[in-house]
Amino acid sequence: MNTNNIVENLKREIENFSTQIKAEKIGKVLEVFDGIAKVSGLSDIKSSEMVIFPGGETGVALNLEEDAIGVIILGDFSKIKEGDEVKSTGKILEIPISDDILGRVVNAIGVPMDGKGAIKSTKTYPIEKVAPGVITRLSVDQPVATGIKVIDAIIPIGRGQRELIIGDRQTGKTAIAIDTILNQKGQNMICVYVSIGQKDSKLRKIEARLEEGGAMGYTVIVSAGASEAAALSYIAPYTGVSIAEYFMDQGKDVLIIYDDLSKHAVAYREISLLLRRPPGREAYPGDVFYLHSRLLERACRRNKEYGGGSITALPIVETQAGDVSAYIPTNVISITDGQIFLETDLFYKGIRPAVNVGLSVSRVGSSAQIKAMKKVAGTLKLDLAQFRELEAFAQFGSDLDESTKRQLERGKRAVEVLKQLQYSPVKTEHQVVTLYALTKGFMDDIAIDRIKEFELGLASYSENNAKVFYKQVLEKKMWDEKGEEELKKVIADFKNNFTR
Amino acid sequence: MSIISNNDIAHAIYLASKDKSKEEQSLIFKNVIKFLVKKKKIARVPDILLRLGKIINNYENRIVGKIFSKEKITETQNKEINQILAHRYSVKEVILNEKIDEKLLGGFKMEVGDEVIDLTLKKKIEKLQEHLTSNK
Repeated sequence: MNTNNIVENLKREIENFSTQIKAEKIGKVLEVFDGIAKVSGLSDIKSSEMVIFPGGETGVALNLEEDAIGVIILGDFSKIKEGDEVKSTGKILEIPISDDILGRVVNAIGVPMDGKGAIKSTKTYPIEKVAPGVITRLSVDQPVATGIKVIDAIIPIGRGQRELIIGDRQTGKTAIAIDTILNQKGQNMICVYVSIGQKDSKLRKIEARLEEGGAMGYTVIVSAGASEAAALSYIAPYTGVSIAEYFMDQGKDVLIIYDDLSKHAVAYREISLLLRRPPGREAYPGDVFYLHSRLLERACRRNKEYGGGSITALPIVETQAGDVSAYIPTNVISITDGQIFLETDLFYKGIRPAVNVGLSVSRVGSSAQIKAMKKVAGTLKLDLAQFRELEAFAQFGSDLDESTKRQLERGKRAVEVLKQLQYSPVKTEHQVVTLYALTKGFMDDIAIDRIKEFELGLASYSENNAKVFYKQVLEKKMWDEKGEEELKKVIADFKNNFTR
Repeated sequence: MSIISNNDIAHAIYLASKDKSKEEQSLIFKNVIKFLVKKKKIARVPDILLRLGKIINNYENRIVGKIFSKEKITETQNKEINQILAHRYSVKEVILNEKIDEKLLGGFKMEVGDEVIDLTLKKKIEKLQEHLTSNK
């Protein structure tokens, strides 16, 4: 292109350029502190409306007062000074989005931060939206296979459910979430992992792990790091769920993980106190329940007429010294459809995942299980509860009758079977075979320290030899008599070889 | 405990002193000052006055704004602008405080309340710059 061309082009552009005369509402910054700006003017602004500062920084109007508004600044507030002009946009905060966002790490306002270049966006989605209504919803009856035996068998999660993962620090909460993402390969599921106030090193580790497991192809990570402003931590989960909604609107099933909501509540508390909203219990503002309920209500399973798709939410909450009766844990427990309760004691006893089966519950329950799993896992929870009781009782005396002894032995084996290493999800059909062998007593005479070995061996042996059973479970989700006979024979054969 | 806002006080002053004679008004103002001192609200006077001004303008159907231009605005221009603004805000009277600002290069800019109508050359050039850079 030569100089003349450029000049011609410029001329044309300038000739075609026209501006519209319009009156703009302009506010002035009165004060700036700790990521909050007080702005005068802007009399027509709506709550949660986006405003723009001179440097291009965006903000969200949260407090609307008589002659000033309180704005949270999303990004660097060091360049904003008193007297700066602030413009309203007339829009609720929204994020740019397209299918290209898969496999990327974005910040709380949807800007990529993984150094892989810009994301071409085709649409924008508002981060705040009213949750789908009753008429648009379906009940939950499709399972989310987590690949974790204790969860799939005892606390099943369904597509569209909200299941809380709760526990003290270092009990494997994130591990369960990551394992679940890793197991979604080929399960027709998009995953969104929202990291709120986490260390960047931890996030990097998670990203590398997902990359290694081939999970980034169907995963988006939204991150608001510990070093970023509280405002970003506050909006990150809403950004995450908007991304999830984008995929749900295409009729897809989405799994979203909020890691974790206690830090989210802390960020919101910081903002609220800076905005001088009155503090309530534990200094959280009065609307901290609504903060989480409006977020988690957006998880749903929609019926076909309204576009189908689902959002399954796994919020994580960290407790202090196992105290589930603190403010945020009780709030989130009451919002969700069940919780997976992790315990430090179990973790250090070597029972990992350290799920406390007694306190964990899934309120959607067995309707989110395939029939075969329902059959083998039906009594497992009760058996384990009885085992716990007997175990405590048996410590006092040694004289036990035969049936009690048998129950104890079975319980010990059940606990052993439910142990599982990190990053090693188990296929549903293998879980069914293992639990079948356990509940039908095939493992009763195997030494406890060889249970793991037996389980692994049986999984691969049965897959090769019990073809009819596997086919039935995979296709019809249940076996018939023929399949059961075959499986029984295969397990007996394997056991013969194993014990010899 | 109820809280009296500055706006409430200004409003009360306006309603009390409206349509009153000079003597009566000066008595009212004395009482207002006494009241403010007694209630320890005397520091609020500048803000109350500001609000009182707005309330009076509002009741008298009048707006006060600012107009910025590079050169002094002519009589005819002023008349026309006044007419347009009076129509736009549906008021009887428009008071524009003129200010000269060389940096605007040309045209003029009006500010009424928090609303800004910018017709300056400076703004146009900024817009053109935005347009040319965003297309590339």
